[in-house]
Amino acid sequence: MTEQKAIVVEKVSKKFRLRASGSRSLKSILINCLRAQERKKQEFWALKDINFTVDKGETLGIIGANGAGKSTLLALLTGTKVPTDGTIHTSGTLSSLLELGAGFHPELTGRENIFLCGAVMGLSRSKMENRFKAIVEFAGIEEFIDQPVKHYSSGMYVRLGFAIAVEVDPDILLIDEVLAVGDANFQRKCIAKMREFRDKKKTMLIISHDLKTIQSVSDRILLLDEGKIIGIGDPESIVETYESLSRKRDSQGIAREWGTGEAKITNAEFFDNNGKITDKFEWGKTLEAKISYLASRKIENPVFGFAISDKDGRLIYGNNTQIENFNITNIEGQGSVLLRINGLAMATGTYLFSFSVHSYDHKVNYHRLDNKFPIAVESSKQFEGICHMPCTWSLK
Amino acid sequence: MRILLNDIYQRRELLYNLIVRNLKIRYKNSILGFFWSLLGPIFLIAIYSIFLGFLKIPLPLSVLVTGIITWQFLAMCLGDAQYAIIGNANLITKTSFPRIILPLAMVNANLINFLLSFIVLLIYLCIAGVSFGAILWLPAVMITHYVLCIGVSLIVACSNVYFRDTEHIMSVITLAWFFVSPVIYPVEFILDKLPGNLHPLVFCNPMVGIISSYRVLLLSSNNPGAYNLAVSCIVAWVILFVGIGIFQKFQPGFGDEL
Repeated sequence: MTEQKAIVVEKVSKKFRLRASGSRSLKSILINCLRAQERKKQEFWALKDINFTVDKGETLGIIGANGAGKSTLLALLTGTKVPTDGTIHTSGTLSSLLELGAGFHPELTGRENIFLCGAVMGLSRSKMENRFKAIVEFAGIEEFIDQPVKHYSSGMYVRLGFAIAVEVDPDILLIDEVLAVGDANFQRKCIAKMREFRDKKKTMLIISHDLKTIQSVSDRILLLDEGKIIGIGDPESIVETYESLSRKRDSQGIAREWGTGEAKITNAEFFDNNGKITDKFEWGKTLEAKISYLASRKIENPVFGFAISDKDGRLIYGNNTQIENFNITNIEGQGSVLLRINGLAMATGTYLFSFSVHSYDHKVNYHRLDNKFPIAVESSKQFEGICHMPCTWSLK
Repeated sequence: MRILLNDIYQRRELLYNLIVRNLKIRYKNSILGFFWSLLGPIFLIAIYSIFLGFLKIPLPLSVLVTGIITWQFLAMCLGDAQYAIIGNANLITKTSFPRIILPLAMVNANLINFLLSFIVLLIYLCIAGVSFGAILWLPAVMITHYVLCIGVSLIVACSNVYFRDTEHIMSVITLAWFFVSPVIYPVEFILDKLPGNLHPLVFCNPMVGIISSYRVLLLSSNNPGAYNLAVSCIVAWVILFVGIGIFQKFQPGFGDEL
């Protein structure tokens, strides 16, 4: 079965030791020997129990926040780092673009560096000679090929690095954030080259923060978060999961919570007009929120409220059951109230929901969760400002 | 061990490319370039020949320069070995290949320099009219010398990844090693001061055996005893295998450390 797989990663974990200074010195070793128990605290698991396989000819995108372990994963696959636990099998030759032009020596010329890089990647001189022309052409540096690369512009440097890596023509290509560099023209060339690669039934692993591009070139996407796999599968749904995850992260900074706690809002879930649970909405469509509560004692005439703020916490709209004359006689124990907004009026962006439950006379605040629940709104309608007001135009 | 040799053989093109790179970089931006490999030892011999007369050092010039030129191969390796791995951090962290190739390329680049110096030395010795000894044994001495250089380079290269103190320690060790080896004095200088049963101990420093062997073969100096030379030879090979063992044990961690 593994014959069809290009990459098999089994139970892979990677531990790093954190150190105060950059490198070990005799002094720090002596100190560490004396404080053995402190060494445990300095450990950090960059990856924890990672399992996945990549089929031959498949393109797998890897996404995740900074520090999620994406680059560590590629380093393990490349072989520059060794997993603490678990095994990795790869079949076929592997070329990695962890950093464009990584093997270059600044004093050597472009020509010398091409052959040096070829040798680093395991290609014979004769093979490199055959590809030399294509590399120089793709990088577009014909006039500068006999100049030391230290005189190259950063764009030329990167182009040459990419050209070498793709012309080496490996079975598996690992790409880390390459799309972030270079001008628009070069990026187009890179993406075209990646598609060409895909059509040749080669295996690719791509890390990128450019979600649109990665979604369009990947067959599957793997989402990493804090060293664990959160999801792997269909690009669209994984990107959506990631977006909602990062919205939750973003809003954590301004989220606040207070109240007596006699009644508590335990959760809020959002549904679209098809009743599907989501946090991504279209402008003008319906939003339903199910607000779950837990009242530790019987509370008479509670008022539930909500507010929508933009991602910086500025209030856009608020309303409650009292204003809308929806009277709740009492609550006790678990339950939920349903909020329905017909036609979301906001422009494209991320918005934060706040929910509250307080007494009818506003004197007691049982529980308030401010800016806790983020949603995204996509608007196809172009208008100025943050909120759309229904309006009509006519000639008189 | 066989796997390691096979790995190195598989990546011989990389080894070759890295040797060429090391040599090219050394003489980059210098007008005379590669000629410095020859000019260096020529000037060295010339300067010693002038000052030896002034200082009235009781040592023939041929004995002194043989010592210095052969010592230089090891000294260069000790100096460069510190940076063989950490100086190539970008290659280590971004690409994958048998790490041992980096120090090997460094030693081989220095070997080429040494061989050029050695040619200069031989030409000088011919001009000076010394009578050569059993010169056919030279390759055996050179191999021992080369083996020792690889062995210590592997240990130094590897240790500097984990402890940056290595750089400072090495400058002390190199200086001490220079003086305990018969570079600027003949080996008899120490042997005469010690009882015969301690002589093998002196030869545990492999440079004692190596430098005196060069002198025996090139200058027909006294043979300090083949038995003693064998001690140096064995120590050199032991250092090589210990070096390979240490290097291979620690090389998987290089990527994390750099």
